[in-house]
Amino acid sequence: MISRVADHCFWFGRYVERAESTARMLAASVSLALDGELPASGVWRPVIVVSGEEDEFRSRITGGNDEHAAWGDGEVVQRFMVWDEDNGVSLARSVTGMRWNARSIREVLSLEAWEIVNELHLWNRGDIAPVSYAQHRDDYYQHIRRNTQLILGLLRSTMLHDEALHFVWLGVLLERVSQTARTLDVHHWAFTNLPSRHEVVETGLWLSLLRALSGGDAYLKRSAGRVSSEGVARFLVAERAFPRSIAYCVRSAYDRLCDIRPPDAHDLPGGTTLERLRVLDAWVVARTGESLSGPGIHDLLTHVVDEVHEICGSLGKELLGG
Amino acid sequence: MQSQSQHQGPVSLFDGYPALEGTFDEMFEQGTARPPFARIAQLLSKMTTDELARAQHLAEAELLQQGVTFSVYGDARGTEKIFPFCLLPRVIAASDWAQLEKGLQQRLRALSAFLDDIYGEQKILAAGIVPADMVLGAAGYRPMLRGIKPPGGVRIHISGVDLIRGANGGWMVLEDNLRTPSGVSYVVENRLLSKQLFPKIIDAARVHRVDHYPTRLAETLRSVAPSIEGDVNAVVLTPGPYNSAYFEHSFLARTTGLELVQAPDLFVDQDKVFCRTTRGPKRVDVIYRRTDEAFLDPEVFRPDSMLGVPGLMRAYAAGNVALANAPGNGVADDKAVYPFVPAMIEFYLGEKPSLDQVKTFVCMFDDDRKYVLEHLNELVVKAVDEAGGYGMLMGPQASSDEIEEFRRRIIAEPRRYIAQHRVELSSCPTWISEHSSVEPRRVDLRPYILTSREGPWVMPGGLTRVALKRGSYVVNSSQGGGSKDTWVLKEQQ
Repeated sequence: MISRVADHCFWFGRYVERAESTARMLAASVSLALDGELPASGVWRPVIVVSGEEDEFRSRITGGNDEHAAWGDGEVVQRFMVWDEDNGVSLARSVTGMRWNARSIREVLSLEAWEIVNELHLWNRGDIAPVSYAQHRDDYYQHIRRNTQLILGLLRSTMLHDEALHFVWLGVLLERVSQTARTLDVHHWAFTNLPSRHEVVETGLWLSLLRALSGGDAYLKRSAGRVSSEGVARFLVAERAFPRSIAYCVRSAYDRLCDIRPPDAHDLPGGTTLERLRVLDAWVVARTGESLSGPGIHDLLTHVVDEVHEICGSLGKELLGG
Repeated sequence: MQSQSQHQGPVSLFDGYPALEGTFDEMFEQGTARPPFARIAQLLSKMTTDELARAQHLAEAELLQQGVTFSVYGDARGTEKIFPFCLLPRVIAASDWAQLEKGLQQRLRALSAFLDDIYGEQKILAAGIVPADMVLGAAGYRPMLRGIKPPGGVRIHISGVDLIRGANGGWMVLEDNLRTPSGVSYVVENRLLSKQLFPKIIDAARVHRVDHYPTRLAETLRSVAPSIEGDVNAVVLTPGPYNSAYFEHSFLARTTGLELVQAPDLFVDQDKVFCRTTRGPKRVDVIYRRTDEAFLDPEVFRPDSMLGVPGLMRAYAAGNVALANAPGNGVADDKAVYPFVPAMIEFYLGEKPSLDQVKTFVCMFDDDRKYVLEHLNELVVKAVDEAGGYGMLMGPQASSDEIEEFRRRIIAEPRRYIAQHRVELSSCPTWISEHSSVEPRRVDLRPYILTSREGPWVMPGGLTRVALKRGSYVVNSSQGGGSKDTWVLKEQQ
C-alpha cells in the first residue's frame, strides 16, 4: 500500500488507543481519589508523568513550581488531560488526531468505522460533551472508551484483514506497550515508596492500577485473588494471554509486522524494524524468568519504552515514507 | 392545488405555491402539476410541513455525521460544512432526458474532435470557423502539448455540462466543464437520502438509478491505459484533505476501489510513473487527477511551485501514463470559445446541434463589445477563465459603481470577458426551512458524461443546483446555492 496511507493507518491506530487509555486512566484516577487513601498529588501527579507531559504542565500550569497545588488538583489535571488543545496528548487532541488521520484515509477504512470516528469527533467538539463532562464525568469517559472500542471492533469485523488493518493494529499495539510500561513504572515507584505501608491500602492501589489498564478482573483470575506488587508487575509485563501486557503487545506487534513484511522477504523494506522488534520480543521473554521486583523493574520498563520509541522511528523511515 | 384550499379541503403541501412571474416552473403550470409529474406531486403533497421539516433535519444530520462535507477555505480550525440539500427532488421527464442525452453525446463528440484538432492539424482554424487568435490566445491553450496524442485517444474522460431552462422551458447549455468538474458524489449521496426519506414515492416514480457511476468511471479509466499487459493500476490524485472537494475525491476512490494518492506519493523514473508503497515502487498507468493542471508538474507548468509530480508531463508525452482529464482541455471550455461549439458540431460531425445554447457576446469582437458596453445594465458579464460564480457581473441587479468597474475591466482586457442576457432560469418547488414552506427557487443541472475508447456515456441523472436565496439566479455553492436529487424518469411501459 501507499506509504503515506500506511502512515495515516499507523497514527490513526495510535490516536484511537491513546484516547481510550487516557479516558481509562482518568476514570480510574477519579475513583482512586475518592478512596482517599493517597494524598491528592499522589493520585494526580502520576497521571501527568505517565502522559509524558510533565514539563509542559510544570511550565504552563504551575509556573515551574513543583509544590504548586495544581499537581494535586484533580480538576486542573483533568482539564489539562481532556480539553487542553496545547497539550499534545489531551483527549481533545487525540480525538481530533484520530479523526484527521481517518479522514485522510477514509476510503481505506470501512464506512461503518469512519462514521463512528466522525460522530465521536463531532460529539467531542459539540455542545453535549462539555455538559456530560461537567455533570457526569464518568459518563464522559465511558463515552470515549466505548466508542474507541467500538471503532477497533468495527475495524476488525468490517475491514479487509490486509495491510491497512495490520498498520492500524501496529499503531494500537505499540501505543499500548508504552502506555502499559509507563503506567506500571510510575505507579510501581509511587506505591512502593509510600510513607507508611499498609496492606489494605496497597492492595487497593494495585487494583486501581490494574483497572486503569482494564486488567483488574483478569489479574484476579490469574492470581486466584492474591494481590502483590510482584504479582501485578509480572502480570502486566509477562502475561501472554492478557491483551494489554507488554509481552502480548510486543509479540502481537511482531506478528503483525511479519504479515506486512515476512521475515524471509529480504527484497522488501522493513527488515531493520522487524529485526529490532524480534529482539525486543526475545528480550521481554528472557526477562520473565527473572525476578520482577525492586529497582530492576524500572530499568526493564525504561528499556521497553526506549526500544518502542526506536522501533516507531525505524518503522517511519522504512515503511511509512518518513 | 390552489382549488383544494378554496374548497377548504385537506391542506396540501403545495397549496398557495407562489409561482414566479415570467419563469418556467418545472413541476407546476398554473397551479397544476405537469402531466409527467402528476403522480409524484400528488404523493409529495400528502406530506405535512412538519414531516418535511423533520425529514430535512434528518437529512442534514446524516450528511454531517457521514462527513459528506466540504472544507471551508481560509478557516484555520478546519471547519467543514455540508453542501445545503433540499429534499424535494427535481424531476426530469423521460422524453426530455432522451433529447438531452443525445445532445450531450453529440456535444462531447464535437468537443473531443475540436481538442484533437487544436492539438493536431488545427483545421478548424485554417477554415476560419473559429478565430485562430482567440483559440491560440486562450489561457487554457497549452502549445507544448501540440502533437501529443493521449493514451487511448480520449481527452475528455469526465465532463460536466451545465444546462439551464429558459422562460419557455427549453433546455440550453450554459457552459462546458472539461477539466475537473466536481459534484458527482453528491448525486450518489443525494439519491441515498431520497431512498431513505421517500422510499414509497421514489418506488412509484420509476427513477433511473445513478449508483453505477463509479463502476462506469473505473471502466472508463481502465479503458484508456497505455498498455493492456497485466493489471491496470489506475489511481485518483487529490490535492489532499484541505481541498474543498476532498470528500468527493475520497468518495470516488472508495466507490471505484482505486487508491487515492497525493502528488508526493508519486514519482517519475525513466519517463514512467510510480507510486511509493510499503513494498517499494509500484507502476501507475492511469491517473484520474483532481488537481488543477497548473499543479501537475512543476517542470512544465509552474516552475515556482513545490506542488506536483516532477516529470509527469514527460511520462505523459512518452505515452506511458494516461491523465484523466487530459491537460490542455481548458481551451475547449473557455467561455469565449463556447459560442463556437454549434459551429464545431457542424464542422466535425456534419450534424445540426441538438442542444441550444445561450446567445453570447464576445468582448474581443468590436461589434459585440460595443453592444455590451451599451447594455451593461441588462447583461450578465463573465470572465472567461473564472468559475464558481466569481468574476461575474449581474447587470440587472448591479450598482452603478459595479457596472462602471466592469466597463473599465472590459475595455482594459476585452479577451477576458463575454456577456449574455440574463436567462430567467427555471424554478422547482424547494423546501425553505426558515419559512417552513415550499417555494419556487431557480435551478440548473449538471449531468456527467464519461467518455471511454467506445465514446460518451451520459449518467441518467446529474447534480441539480438550486439558488436557495429568494430572487437569486446564482446556484454556486460558494454563493448560497444548494443541491437536490435529480430524478430522471424511465420511459412509460
